Amino acid sequence: MFRFIVRKTSYGLAVLAGIIGVIFFLFNILPGDPARMTMGQRPDVQSLEAIRKEFGLDKPVYIQFIYYLNDLLPLSIHGNDAASREKYHYFRLIPLGKAQSLVLKKPYLRRSYQTRREVSSILGETIPNTIVLALSAMIFATIIGIFLGIVSAVNKDTWIDKSANAFAVLGISAPSFFAGIVIAWIFGFVLSKYTGLNMSGSLYNYDPFRGEVLTPGNLVLPMLTLGLRPLAIIVQLTRSAMLDVLSQDYIRTAKAKGLDKHTIIYRHALKNALNPVITAISGWFASLLAGSFFVEYIFGYNGLGKATVDALEYADFPVVMGAILFVAFIFVIINILADIAYALVDPRVKLQ
Amino acid sequence: MISAENLAISFRTETGWAEVVQGISFTLQPGNVLGIVGESGSGKSVAALSIMRLHDPSATRITGSIRFHDTDLMAIPEKEMRRYRGKGIAMIFQEPMTSLNPVLTCGFQVAEAIRLHRKISVAEAREKTISLFNEVQLPRPEKIFDSYPHELSGGQKQRVMIAMALSGDPEVLIADEPTTALDVTVQHFILQLLLKIKSDRNMSMIFISHDLGVIRKIADHVLVMHKGNIVESNTLDALFAHPQHPYTKGLLASRPVMGQKLKVLPMMSDFIDINGEKPAFVPVKLTDRELDSRLETLHRAPPLLQVRNLKTWYPVKEGFFGKPKEFVKAVDDVSFDVYPGEIVGLVGESGCGKTTLGRSIARLIEPTSGSILFKGKELLGLPATEMRKYRRNIQIIFQDPFSALNPVTTIGESLLEPMRVHQLFVNDNQRREQVISLLERVNLSADHFNRYPHEFSGGQRQRIGIARALALRPEFIICDESVSALDVSVQAQVLNLLQELQREFKLTYIFISHDLSVIYHLADRMIVMNKGKIEESGDPRQILYHPKEAYTKKLIGSIV
Repeated sequence: MFRFIVRKTSYGLAVLAGIIGVIFFLFNILPGDPARMTMGQRPDVQSLEAIRKEFGLDKPVYIQFIYYLNDLLPLSIHGNDAASREKYHYFRLIPLGKAQSLVLKKPYLRRSYQTRREVSSILGETIPNTIVLALSAMIFATIIGIFLGIVSAVNKDTWIDKSANAFAVLGISAPSFFAGIVIAWIFGFVLSKYTGLNMSGSLYNYDPFRGEVLTPGNLVLPMLTLGLRPLAIIVQLTRSAMLDVLSQDYIRTAKAKGLDKHTIIYRHALKNALNPVITAISGWFASLLAGSFFVEYIFGYNGLGKATVDALEYADFPVVMGAILFVAFIFVIINILADIAYALVDPRVKLQ
Repeated sequence: MISAENLAISFRTETGWAEVVQGISFTLQPGNVLGIVGESGSGKSVAALSIMRLHDPSATRITGSIRFHDTDLMAIPEKEMRRYRGKGIAMIFQEPMTSLNPVLTCGFQVAEAIRLHRKISVAEAREKTISLFNEVQLPRPEKIFDSYPHELSGGQKQRVMIAMALSGDPEVLIADEPTTALDVTVQHFILQLLLKIKSDRNMSMIFISHDLGVIRKIADHVLVMHKGNIVESNTLDALFAHPQHPYTKGLLASRPVMGQKLKVLPMMSDFIDINGEKPAFVPVKLTDRELDSRLETLHRAPPLLQVRNLKTWYPVKEGFFGKPKEFVKAVDDVSFDVYPGEIVGLVGESGCGKTTLGRSIARLIEPTSGSILFKGKELLGLPATEMRKYRRNIQIIFQDPFSALNPVTTIGESLLEPMRVHQLFVNDNQRREQVISLLERVNLSADHFNRYPHEFSGGQRQRIGIARALALRPEFIICDESVSALDVSVQAQVLNLLQELQREFKLTYIFISHDLSVIYHLADRMIVMNKGKIEESGDPRQILYHPKEAYTKKLIGSIV
């Protein structure tokens, strides 16, 4: 198992390295002078030069890339001077010569062109909101989806199965920006009196008297919107996997033993049917973290997606790059976790 | 114990209800083994499953009654029926590979069945399971308790299934083709085991099989089923000594028997009269003199194929950077010759490497090392373009006629394509004519040209496979278990066809099979393979009566 995890992790790191390369060179060929963007409307020549030096913009591209990598890597080489120490918050490991040291630090994602704040702190504020949103959407979709899938497989071809299927088709075909607007309008506006929900808002709202206030109600509608499509897909996947499993020989064996329907379904069939569902869940969870752009934007929910869209509007590349890197990182982590989950659910998955 | 009265079973199909069992009646006497024999589609498994009421009730219609002691099993509610399953009547199935739940341990699955019928603790159930594992003679029962099904061999899985069936101390055990998917030596063991358990526990048994040889070993009374009806019901001895119904006679005659080489195998049509007249079939045995002189003439010519030190190894364990560390030696240092016009039988149990050897010779699998000389020309290392010329000359007929034909291509297209690839004949018209004459040669007709594979039966598909192999007019054909998936009566037709074609087109065969009697019937020379190596080779008569190697003796000893 340990070797299995090490191998999966090393593949993941290789993928991550590839993504870093692609992101860097992609944003490097985009038009615009980062130094000028950082300084805003009226830059003076000295500040421009200082910034170019800081980002290494006066150097060839591959040197810039090495600087970028050095900024990102937790284990990296930086100067011993106070400015570097201030910038990277590093922990010195091994001194290399007089001026530099091998250090341990958090990945440094540079600063926003727009606000000059550190990208990691901008993302740090929004990521928890997105994680809460994605996680709750996913939990909602998984629980309801697996349950509905089982119910419709067991009651195949009855009205229960047919209405679950109709719902699933609707859920898959409705685009989230459309579903989001409809859901916001119905539950947050028309029925607002009864639901007590708002059309938009973040998890933490600013209250003039009490400061930041937790408003979990604002989570409900984006969660429904975001979870709708994975829910529909999980229903269909569980249903077809379950039907497939229920026709297997070992289910007949279980029946011949004299087991009742409930035990057959939950003990013998479900575990076998879960593999494709795990794939779907892990894939969707990763893309929910990344792809809640529309939903966060529509509901004015202060998450990673909204922060990225806002940053894109101002061509604030460090923020966008940081967000993409974070999303890639999450994808890799979730894929590794999904592989481990397979191995746990299905003993036939080879750990070799 | 069990008596069925007028049992009729229909399945719902797209066009309405299809009656697959047409009002049969039978009785199982206490302590007896009732054998039900029949070919695929005869309704034997369907009837057995209905005793346990394992059919999907929404798609099945059952009439008549099945009494177990004094209870009519067809009349009681499902909840009550559950109490009989496993406890009164237990069942084991054909496919041990798929009959156990892959995600639960073997021990859990048996212990679960025990605890269902008796209120005992988990620890007691574990103990009981292990004692059952001992009873079915599983090695290291404690270890198997915690193993998952995929970690066991087929025979071991079937023994776990038997242990599970015994867990409720049933009075009746229904065994639905329990040995069909297993190797002969394992089959022999399982049959012995079942007989021992039956007499130890004083159980009654219903034993279903397509194989009269197996039935002969285990049953007291036999039912012969054909197209949903019982055509004959008799005691075992009477059935084998004096079969009454023509179908039974045909079934008995059309299976090849060890120690007897016939010129032509009897076929079902020789017994069931179609035109009102009774055909008389006189089997012609080949004499030793005929066989000797044939072998001598064959071996006078230079060999067509020479295989030398052939090895095909598969990497199983890979190091961190994908470099193979351990191998499965599927074919390990094998050498033999095949002479023109000869039929060489390659026999062995599953996993012995016979299929890999066949595919390695045709280079469908790239061998690891060694040499394959075809007409004196080295095939290994030939570039793909040059190999193509030889592909034409070396054809394979595969085992599974259902998956060997592309379901979206018409039969005609399937046969035309290889001719087109190898540019045989001038144009498609001539090729089409050739395809039609081939179809007719394998006893199909010209109007099958535009049909799709799903419209054909297994035997017809296998004949299409043969026609496809012949399309390129090869000299050398590898038949890989080409009759294993077929019923005996169909098997006889296909074997006869293969022999006729061999004579007509002067073909050379390597015939791969797990079935010693088929090999004995067909082959001029046989090769016994085990664990990737050749155990023994030579004249089948010699090997049957004077086997040299221990493995060959064991193999011959397990034949039913």
